[in-house]
Amino acid sequence: MTTKLFGEPVRRREDARLIVGKGRYLDDIGHTALAAAFVRSPHAHARITDIDVEGALDVDGLVAIYTYDDLTGPMAEPLPVLIPHPQLTEPRTNYPLARDVVRHVGEAVVMVVATDRYVAEDAAERIVVTYEELPVVVGVDAAHEAEAAVHDDVPDNVAARHRQETGDVEPALAASPRTLSFTQYIERSASMPMEGKGVHARWDADDRSLRVYSSTQASTSVRAAIAAKLELSLDTVEVVAPDVGGGFGVKIVHPWPEELLVPMAAIALQAEVKWAEDRREHFISSAHERQQRQDITVGFDDDGRVTALDVHVLHDNGAYTPYGIIVPIITATQLVGPYVIPVYRVQVDSVYTNTVIVTPYRGAGRPQACYAIERTMDRIADELGLDRAVVRERNLIQPDQFPYDHHLTFQDGRPVIYDSGDYPGLVDKLKDLVGWSEAETLRAEAAARGKHLGIGMALYVEGTGPGPYEGGHVQVLGSGKVLVSTGLTSQGQGHETAFAQIVASELGVPIEDIEVTTGDTRRFGYAVGTFASRAAVMSGNAIALAARGVREKALRIAADVLEAAPEDLEIDEGLVQVKGVPGTSIPLRTVAVLSNPLRYAFDEAAKQATQFTTHDDSKPPVAEGDAPGLEHRDYYSPLRSTFASGAHAAIVEIDPATWEIDIVKYAVVHDCGNVVNPMIVEGQVQGGVAQGVGGALYERMVYDQDGQLQNASYMDFLMPYSSEVPDVVIDHQTTPSPLNPLGIKGAGEAGVIPGTAAIASAIEDAVGRRISSMPISPTELYDLVRSPDSEMTAAAAGRAGTGVMA
Amino acid sequence: MNLDGSAVLSASPEQVWSVITDPAVLARTIPGCETLEQVGDDEYKMNVSVGVGAIRGTYAGEVKLSDKQHPTSYVMHASGAGAPGNARAQVTINLEPADGGRTNLTYSADAVIGGPVAGVGQRMITGVAKRMAGQFFKAIDAELTGTAVPVAAAAPSAAAVSSTSDASLVAGGAPVAAPSRTFAGKAGEHVRTSGDVQSLLMGAVGGALLTLIGVLVGYRLGRHR
Repeated sequence: MTTKLFGEPVRRREDARLIVGKGRYLDDIGHTALAAAFVRSPHAHARITDIDVEGALDVDGLVAIYTYDDLTGPMAEPLPVLIPHPQLTEPRTNYPLARDVVRHVGEAVVMVVATDRYVAEDAAERIVVTYEELPVVVGVDAAHEAEAAVHDDVPDNVAARHRQETGDVEPALAASPRTLSFTQYIERSASMPMEGKGVHARWDADDRSLRVYSSTQASTSVRAAIAAKLELSLDTVEVVAPDVGGGFGVKIVHPWPEELLVPMAAIALQAEVKWAEDRREHFISSAHERQQRQDITVGFDDDGRVTALDVHVLHDNGAYTPYGIIVPIITATQLVGPYVIPVYRVQVDSVYTNTVIVTPYRGAGRPQACYAIERTMDRIADELGLDRAVVRERNLIQPDQFPYDHHLTFQDGRPVIYDSGDYPGLVDKLKDLVGWSEAETLRAEAAARGKHLGIGMALYVEGTGPGPYEGGHVQVLGSGKVLVSTGLTSQGQGHETAFAQIVASELGVPIEDIEVTTGDTRRFGYAVGTFASRAAVMSGNAIALAARGVREKALRIAADVLEAAPEDLEIDEGLVQVKGVPGTSIPLRTVAVLSNPLRYAFDEAAKQATQFTTHDDSKPPVAEGDAPGLEHRDYYSPLRSTFASGAHAAIVEIDPATWEIDIVKYAVVHDCGNVVNPMIVEGQVQGGVAQGVGGALYERMVYDQDGQLQNASYMDFLMPYSSEVPDVVIDHQTTPSPLNPLGIKGAGEAGVIPGTAAIASAIEDAVGRRISSMPISPTELYDLVRSPDSEMTAAAAGRAGTGVMA
Repeated sequence: MNLDGSAVLSASPEQVWSVITDPAVLARTIPGCETLEQVGDDEYKMNVSVGVGAIRGTYAGEVKLSDKQHPTSYVMHASGAGAPGNARAQVTINLEPADGGRTNLTYSADAVIGGPVAGVGQRMITGVAKRMAGQFFKAIDAELTGTAVPVAAAAPSAAAVSSTSDASLVAGGAPVAAPSRTFAGKAGEHVRTSGDVQSLLMGAVGGALLTLIGVLVGYRLGRHR
């Protein structure tokens, strides 16, 4: 039998290291390094008129002070627009250090380097920057009104107008038996990894080479950006992502100013320099996501089938657009969900505001998309007096419709073609799992206890694993150790375990012999990054292909030794053996030794490969087309993204005294194709749900009219504790992807996507008032229920008199 | 990099000229000046120590004056080197009469800075330079108004000792008879000798600037906007 770990709930191998403090995070590196600190703008929009460093000069331990004037060559140019797009007509990015105008609170103006962080902060505090304040734009509506401009040369504040349409929507709407139009809002939240960003750089003056550690999701591209910006040859720069304490999207953006400035200082000062982001910096100078205004018009028939959908989104992209319009595109294209939408038009106006930049945060535009379409389904159901599940079921793409082409263009520039799925199956499982049909009983039972109970569901389809590619390298050493590397990075997803499972299964070696390295450009130089639920799909498949290459070579070499045909051989537990002939075997580690013809026997094992030991005089020691070593490198580049799917349902109970919203049950049905490790997938789902609950009920970025972020600390920014995160019941469905060798789809972001939509639906169901702005706090819910202007749902009106409403 | 500045001094240009060309005055007014030695017509060697932040160190340099237009302008050529780095600068100094019998002194320096100190950032260097220029002109003004307090024969700090000129100047910290034409600064010792007062004017501004310059980052930071 062969070692088969693919699909098994293998305990995460990295956890023991991480939970006993043996992780190596950015700030664990370089104890003696000089420390950088930043003077950041206290104003949301202002012109810098003076920078006075006089007061800092006496700080003992001060080493250097950098401003825009110290930037030269490409460093003096704006940061790159990482993902250009023809519809991003007005891209704008900031300078590594502000040149003349700052456009959000937190924008870096001065970098101070000192002997330690305390000294650096003391010096930074004494630097006086004088500003002339400019008008401030906060919120999508203000941006749209454009009474003031974030960028002088973009007077309407519109960075991009992203449009996609699958037909002529206006006649389709006009011909629809029914239409509904409504507006809804969704607020900002942010990734909030436990470990903020961080950079450590060391310049070797003799070797003229730079090593940078960065808490990043994209080490290869950070490397390329540093080389380009600092005008270094790529081969002299190496970038390593050490253990990274969470990313959730914010660390896919690069190069952050600090990722360039810290290496710049290390070179200028010929010294190790480090910066580790503090929490306030993370709030005001990293990235946020999610804020949108959605104006939706839907046409449908009397059965609730959608005939046409017209959506206009105002998307807040913050002050700059380094990550292009990826988030708007994802919202626009994932909004169609698991449904047949005969005619669809979407327009996303991506607008500038004087706030922190908006770039992908786990879900990346999908929670908003899901919120848009799922709340639309709820509206249709309410309008027609139908069960919300029924309306959804009537609109679902059916299992025999795959591949299903939406005739849209996805974030990777490729068509939105759903590769596989079973959406009715998801809904069936979900209804069973959550007890959809017992909701009225539960409602009555809760009402008897004086509580409002409601239930809601939301479905999603999630494009995962976009290209362009990832690679994998697998090498068997003479010791029997199997080295696996891939260029994309890890932020706690369990890659060391999942990738090892794949190699163990493909190669037939014990998982204990496998070592996995990710995100280290010294080991693998070609990669894209960890985002869009792509690590398992992309690197998983690349590594599987690499392992298959090693296996093929191992069998070929072993076949010579064992005098058998390769196809008669198998590898199990690290032993190559003739199938069905016990005893005729050769250890894989010996095959590794033999794969490298030697002149010098540096150890006992090596003797086997030396020139007087091996004997085939008929061909050169390394045959033509072959290479020494038992290793293989391969790449996986998909035709297009693979589409995972799922369905969530929430039951909430609301206390009419406090309006506290308690999620009493949360059910998830999840389909990510073939599962490498169900334990890891469930962990991803559970973590995603926690962030979904946070986004629905707690987290928001409270900007005042002056662009000051008023809750930029964990004292004021509410994240759910474990006490607020419900136990999640999970069921799996498996529709393998036909697009990749392992048949897998991404699972990293799924859990967060439907949270806001499902919980909004449940709250609406509980209180009978239209919920059109999320997140919602107990106070807001109280105000909503009390407001004479709030809209009562038809369902609630129907129930009126039953004593459900307070 | 460019560094411009000005100061209003409490005396006429003629008086200012005579003071800022007095090597003895210069030696004691240039911040951190340890020694000032005349080595030729309008040529001096000097040692200056800087004690600010990362720009700490002692610089040995040379100063030469040219284009003297008594009492309105001259050009100073300064160069210096020390452990923290090296600098070279050309400084134009102008004296103009101002209200109330005062003088408006303006200086404009074009400097190139190299070595380790070149990496610390332009504002840091100009910040230190401006501060030292300010100290210098304040000291000059005190000389002009007679409020200058005679320097006690303080020993130079050990760190302030540098090469060049006469090591005996700083040995032991006790006043030592200096060779003629060598002037000790506050940082070194106040030893007055003759001196071609006129040509020494360079020293004053020169010294401060040399110090400043010593700090000026030229290297890759000297980009002009």
